[in-house]
Amino acid sequence: MSSAPLLAINDIGIRFGGLAAVQDFFLHMPPRSLYGLIGPNGAGKTTVFNLITGVYQTQTGAMLLEGQPLGGLPPHRITSAGIARTFQNIRLFGDLSVLDNVMLACQLRAKNRIAGTLVRSRASVGEEAAIRMRSLELLDVFDLRARADEPAQSLPYGHQRQLEIVRALATEPKVLLLDEPAAGMNSGEKRQLAQTIRRIRDEFQLAILLIEHDMELVMEICERITVLDHGVTIASGPPEQIQCDPKVIEAYLGVADDEGAEEQSSKGAEEK
Amino acid sequence: MPSNAAHSPIVLREADALRPPRGHALLRGIGPLLIGVAIAAVMQWGVGPFVGTYVARILLDVGIAIILAVSLNIVNGLAGQFSLGHAGFSALGGYAAGSITYYGSLILWNSSVKHGGPFGAGEWLFVAACLTGGLVAAGAGFIVGLPALRLRGDYLAIATLGFGEIVRVMLQQTGDVIYSARALEQATVNDFFPPPLGGSLGFSGIPTYTSLFWVYLFCAVTIVVAQRLKFSAAGRAMVSIREDEIAAQAMGVNITKWKVRAFVISAFFAGVAGALFAHESGVIISPGDAGFQRSIEIVIMVVLGGKGSITGVLLAAAILSTLPEFLRDFAQYRMIIYALLLIGMMLLRPQGLFGNHEIWDYFKRRRKSSS
Ligand SMILES: Nc1ncnc2c1ncn2[C@@H]1O[C@H](COP(=O)(O)OP(=O)(O)OP(=O)(O)O)[C@@H](O)[C@H]1O
Ligand SMILES: [Mg+2]
Repeated sequence: MSSAPLLAINDIGIRFGGLAAVQDFFLHMPPRSLYGLIGPNGAGKTTVFNLITGVYQTQTGAMLLEGQPLGGLPPHRITSAGIARTFQNIRLFGDLSVLDNVMLACQLRAKNRIAGTLVRSRASVGEEAAIRMRSLELLDVFDLRARADEPAQSLPYGHQRQLEIVRALATEPKVLLLDEPAAGMNSGEKRQLAQTIRRIRDEFQLAILLIEHDMELVMEICERITVLDHGVTIASGPPEQIQCDPKVIEAYLGVADDEGAEEQSSKGAEEK
Repeated sequence: MPSNAAHSPIVLREADALRPPRGHALLRGIGPLLIGVAIAAVMQWGVGPFVGTYVARILLDVGIAIILAVSLNIVNGLAGQFSLGHAGFSALGGYAAGSITYYGSLILWNSSVKHGGPFGAGEWLFVAACLTGGLVAAGAGFIVGLPALRLRGDYLAIATLGFGEIVRVMLQQTGDVIYSARALEQATVNDFFPPPLGGSLGFSGIPTYTSLFWVYLFCAVTIVVAQRLKFSAAGRAMVSIREDEIAAQAMGVNITKWKVRAFVISAFFAGVAGALFAHESGVIISPGDAGFQRSIEIVIMVVLGGKGSITGVLLAAAILSTLPEFLRDFAQYRMIIYALLLIGMMLLRPQGLFGNHEIWDYFKRRRKSSS
């Protein structure tokens, strides 16, 4: 941890009117780390992602990716800097095919000269073919290649979540933010997802920050966990330490027990 | 910003190896345009002379309607930005091009009538004027595109509608057309403020260069451009904005850049269409051409054809611009029939004739399901 972190988030925060949704959020992620972000419903976890990715501008503190400041950059610049995310309430491009969803993300790293597109230059045709090839490869991460031509909205819910991850990977990120990727999955699927997340981290050499309500999953795969409650970081450390932290237990018992929170969240996600 | 220059993007590693052979690429690149030239030539010399002036006139209007609808489809169907100002762009292009050929002819040839034969000097002035008209409209598209970044849905529709009305009112304030080369020579600075574009009476006397050849050539160019945009990184970027702006940005799409680009490209072809219309024989362009009624007509073509479907919109434009001719005998019921057709359509196929698809998708699907 003492060596330069890949992603350094120093005391960022935001208020919505009177509500301090996130306060002084601090997190340093080394390369290839796999960290967790947990907390009861409404704790501010998704808001942290929105702050990191520029959907909301932080009102305090600073963020650095490989030492370069991210503050004030619009969301698309943050993605091209190397931070990709998935959405808790799935946001695929429903009318586009599964493949096109991935190709759109993939093309971020291509040149995409519009003049070349219009005259169909060799360079542009080659680039398009390369984007297609790479996107198909990425679909293999989750066995989605067979459904490449279907409209994204016609995929079953679980596959849509997987496609969100593939699409984020296609932007060639250095840091991947996953917002409740296991929501709505059964325990078998969750186990498999846990393995895939580890595999992604190793294969793509990423740092991953995972929001997840399933304690078992988080405790199993995350190296460090940060716990939010009412926008405040109440604990941060390795899983064993978090598990027996009295503040954490209180925060969860104060709202609902483990199971309750989990059920609530997956229901909420399915409604969307 | 952290740069990726250190290691090249994975996606591009194979790009050079995947380039098509030179000859093949050239053929795919200019092939469709050559087909366009051929179609335009057939329309001009194979169809035009045999159908009589009435049908030829309808064919001109169909071609112009296709350019308008296919170009509106870029901003409206692909990028999902509901614009009600397309006629405004078109009128700007028409007036710009018309003033170039009209006053250019007076200066160059002392007369505003058509100069030279097919592909003569006059006709090239006309082509240059059409392209300039497109550029003027594109400039306006840029200016309208900028505020459009902040507006969504209904608000954007109202703003673009306002734009068309502003163009209309401004054109009404223009001065009388200067009628001869002599008058032009003697004109003082005062005669050019306001610009002599005919005011509310319309801009008459524009030389009548528009022919089936040029209309269908520009039509082909519009379709090829729309098609290449749609099936490329550009098209995906625009559709992603239509589908979900937040997700588009999260995937690295610069939505500001693409919205403006969509407006500019779309307006360019609207301007060209306006220029072609201005040079049609029997047409006197007037401020009303910029008004919102004309814009709505074009929007209906896009809605009916299906958002983003080039072939669907093309077909809808062809049908809707000839329909009034067939319904001429029932002139007093024409608007009613028109309205009923639209309502029926909206009830039966709210996604338009083809939705997001192209005509060939249906043939493909049928082949698939029958095999
Ligand atoms: N744009 C906004 N405007 C106002 N309040 C907001 C906004 N976004 C989030 N909030 C509020 O901020 C708080 C944190 O929300 P957030 O979505 O970050 O919670 P979360 O930890 O992701 O919860 P969940 O587990 O249910 O997904 C909530 O009280 C929410 O209502
Ligand atoms: Mg959340």
